[in-house]
Amino acid sequence: MIIFRKPLTGIERPQMEADVVIVGGGPAGLACALRLSQLIDEHNSKHPDQQLSKENIYVLEKAREIGQHCLSGALLDPRSMRELLPGFEKEAPIEAEVTEEAVYFLTKSGKFKAPITPPPLRDHGNYVISLNRFAKWMGEKVEAAGITVFSGFAGSELLIEGERVAGVRTDDKGVDKSNQPKGNFEPGYDLKAKVVLLAEGTRGSLTKQLVARFHLDHDRNPMTYGVGVKELWELPPGRIAPGEVIYTMGWPLTTREYGGAWIYGGKDNVISLGFVTGLDYPDPRLDPQRVLQEFKLHPMVRSLLEGGKMIRYGAKSLPYGGWWAIPPVAGDGWMILGDSAGFLNSQRLKGIHLAIKSGMLAAETAFEALSQSDFSAARLAGYQRRVENSWIRQELWKVRNFHQGFEHGLWAGMFHAGLQQITGGRGLYARYPATAGHRRLKKLAQLPADGGAEAHLINDYKGDGKLTFDKLTDLYHSGTKHEEDQPAHLVIQDTNICNTRCVTEFGNPCQHFCPASVYEMVEASDSPSGKQIHLNPSNCVHCKTCDIMDPYEIITWVPPEGGGGPNYDGM
Amino acid sequence: MKILVIVEQREGKLNRVSFETLTGAQAIARETGWTLEAAIVGSGVGEIAKEVASKKVAKVYDIESPQLAAYTPDAFVAALKSFIADRKPTLVLMPHTYQVRDFAPKLATALGRALVSDCTGYKKDGDKLLFVRQMFQGKFSADVAFAGEPPYFATFQTGAFRGDQVEAGASPAPVETLQADVPASALRNKPGEVFKEAKQAVDLTQAEIIVAVGRGIKEEKNLAIARQLAEALGGEIAASRPICDAGWLPMDRQIGSSGQTVAPKLYVALGISGAIQHIVGMKGSRTIVAVNKDSEAPIFEVADVGIVGNLFELIPPLIEEIKKAKAGA
Repeated sequence: MIIFRKPLTGIERPQMEADVVIVGGGPAGLACALRLSQLIDEHNSKHPDQQLSKENIYVLEKAREIGQHCLSGALLDPRSMRELLPGFEKEAPIEAEVTEEAVYFLTKSGKFKAPITPPPLRDHGNYVISLNRFAKWMGEKVEAAGITVFSGFAGSELLIEGERVAGVRTDDKGVDKSNQPKGNFEPGYDLKAKVVLLAEGTRGSLTKQLVARFHLDHDRNPMTYGVGVKELWELPPGRIAPGEVIYTMGWPLTTREYGGAWIYGGKDNVISLGFVTGLDYPDPRLDPQRVLQEFKLHPMVRSLLEGGKMIRYGAKSLPYGGWWAIPPVAGDGWMILGDSAGFLNSQRLKGIHLAIKSGMLAAETAFEALSQSDFSAARLAGYQRRVENSWIRQELWKVRNFHQGFEHGLWAGMFHAGLQQITGGRGLYARYPATAGHRRLKKLAQLPADGGAEAHLINDYKGDGKLTFDKLTDLYHSGTKHEEDQPAHLVIQDTNICNTRCVTEFGNPCQHFCPASVYEMVEASDSPSGKQIHLNPSNCVHCKTCDIMDPYEIITWVPPEGGGGPNYDGM
Repeated sequence: MKILVIVEQREGKLNRVSFETLTGAQAIARETGWTLEAAIVGSGVGEIAKEVASKKVAKVYDIESPQLAAYTPDAFVAALKSFIADRKPTLVLMPHTYQVRDFAPKLATALGRALVSDCTGYKKDGDKLLFVRQMFQGKFSADVAFAGEPPYFATFQTGAFRGDQVEAGASPAPVETLQADVPASALRNKPGEVFKEAKQAVDLTQAEIIVAVGRGIKEEKNLAIARQLAEALGGEIAASRPICDAGWLPMDRQIGSSGQTVAPKLYVALGISGAIQHIVGMKGSRTIVAVNKDSEAPIFEVADVGIVGNLFELIPPLIEEIKKAKAGA
């Protein structure tokens, strides 16, 4: 019997009053905190008689330290950072400025280089960064500005009063496997906030509660996602220059899957290498971690990596549903920022600059509310307007139909993308519809038993231990760690479905899509299918793929005890 | 206005942490001008009362009853409740020990008062006495004020004040011995023998021979085979995570990145595939013997002796051979 995490009931919780609570210390949340601090400083120097306090502005971060759960490629388009902190390049941790870029289309053993780099993938002027280091640096700035960051504290529930979001409950600490308080039990805090800013990253768990409670997905396209699986490699010198950027399309994916790889040259012969697989593939046995391993076997990649050493591993989902999938971003007592809202350019596969910009715009609105002492829904709607009038919308509008064009395969996608390029993003239709990725999974009965053209992408993979790795070896390099004696934070509504229907219909895709071996089907004599689901929650790297891709929508990812999770140093 | 410090004794010995609370109470007394008294609860603890009386306090109460010989929350609360109701101190201070954690909430509730627990200090803000408590794992300190009528209850965290700085009195304070009336009917707890935490039964890091089992063991009852082998070899039994996860062996027998790291002379891995998370916990072993039915299992990469086969067939005869060899020697 698996016991799942839920906030304890019938206990007294400490309450704390707050003005602004920002949930999530990634680029969006930290940019928001910094901008808010700047605006308050400006105001206070102009109005010595009406000082605003930063004392009741809090950032909650579930990682033990800021940045530990931040994972991205990453290339930074500096546009928003230049607005936030002009001249930031002088002090920010930047690996390299992009010097060279190439786009390849791969076949099983061949490659075709695009004669010119398509405009959306031109990256001159962008920076190769480690998002982990970048966020750590931003976090230091936020704390130096006098804003309190509670690291090791997750937002576990929204406090909702009537139609208004009235605050956030933090995670209960010291709860054992059976949901009973242990000796070190500490109840979660109820932070009563005038406004809650959700900057949780992709598929935020509070954002999910909010969207469901207020039907924010009404009339929106379903959000679509990809999962990026990444390894850092240390290479012999001279293989790839700092600032060199390579994108690939094609192999190992077939034309039925959406995705591609990146290789970024960083400092000290360390490169970032990863593969984004669209979470809308048809074969439920497909394994995104294996996709990356197959990619490394391509002669071009193999020759690049040979003699090098894999030093870190991680995975994170990203939202690329685009403009039509973004929910309303402001309401009564709340705003949604960054990846939680879906501010990501699916064509350029960049979202950090948009996350930062959205954080800044949310901060401007929160500042207005603070200085006017008016936190009404009408006041907070200023954030919605600011986004719509900003370059966030301009940038996303141009690619509003991009990802949807690929829903019927690579070739149709190329056609639509080309057409959209010359029609200002429109393409054939004003608004391309979308299908949630998990709905595109086919049942096993409709698929060839051996995987057919996808045979090299499905099921477990052993690896050679040098160039390619089995999942547990990769996972070891994520540094993930959790308190072992706690309830499972992968909340499965009905495990009977896993043990019966899913076994025959989809063959339990959770075992395959999870890049951290959290889900396992073990032999069980008392289960009619002979199999039973088993969870290894402490393996989790917080990527949210399960919450997104499970075909029955019965998995809800909730934050485990704060402080647990991967350690993405340098990622 | 009076401050009462309840000092702690366990099995007739003064818990020195009481002096920390006394130091704090002396400081509060100095700032407020309130009278400081102490109390001790037990049976035949007059000597301790005298020791406390050597410190700078106005008076020490020795609250005695045979019912208080062994600690029980019911008896302590019964004795202290009537004492406090009687003497009406303004402030009752205690060290934040396990024993206090056990009875103080009950005591405060019995008197209809609040308890501010685990304080790291106090502040005086005008007429108000504030108690400092940590929040958000020490990131914040909250100043807590009492509302309503006294007595006010507070406990101090260990280390909040320095016990060696407790001020001695110019002359010993008077000790008043009181017989507490603890009706037998109030006692619901029957104390057993004092439980001494057993020394950790096993220290795997010291074991010379370890027999470790993994998922290949299949069922809990099959652990017996591994136990017999361990016994025959004179070693300890251990496991990889799935076994401890399933509760078949306690967590302190888990080897690997989320368990113990060991380096015995002999490590026998039965049905362990050898994921890196396990390997990091045992790769320093001098000789590694692995039994697994999967010839591709990564455990064979670190094994000195690898046996591909069914452990249920291989191990029982091995146990017999070991026994024979040992008997022969």
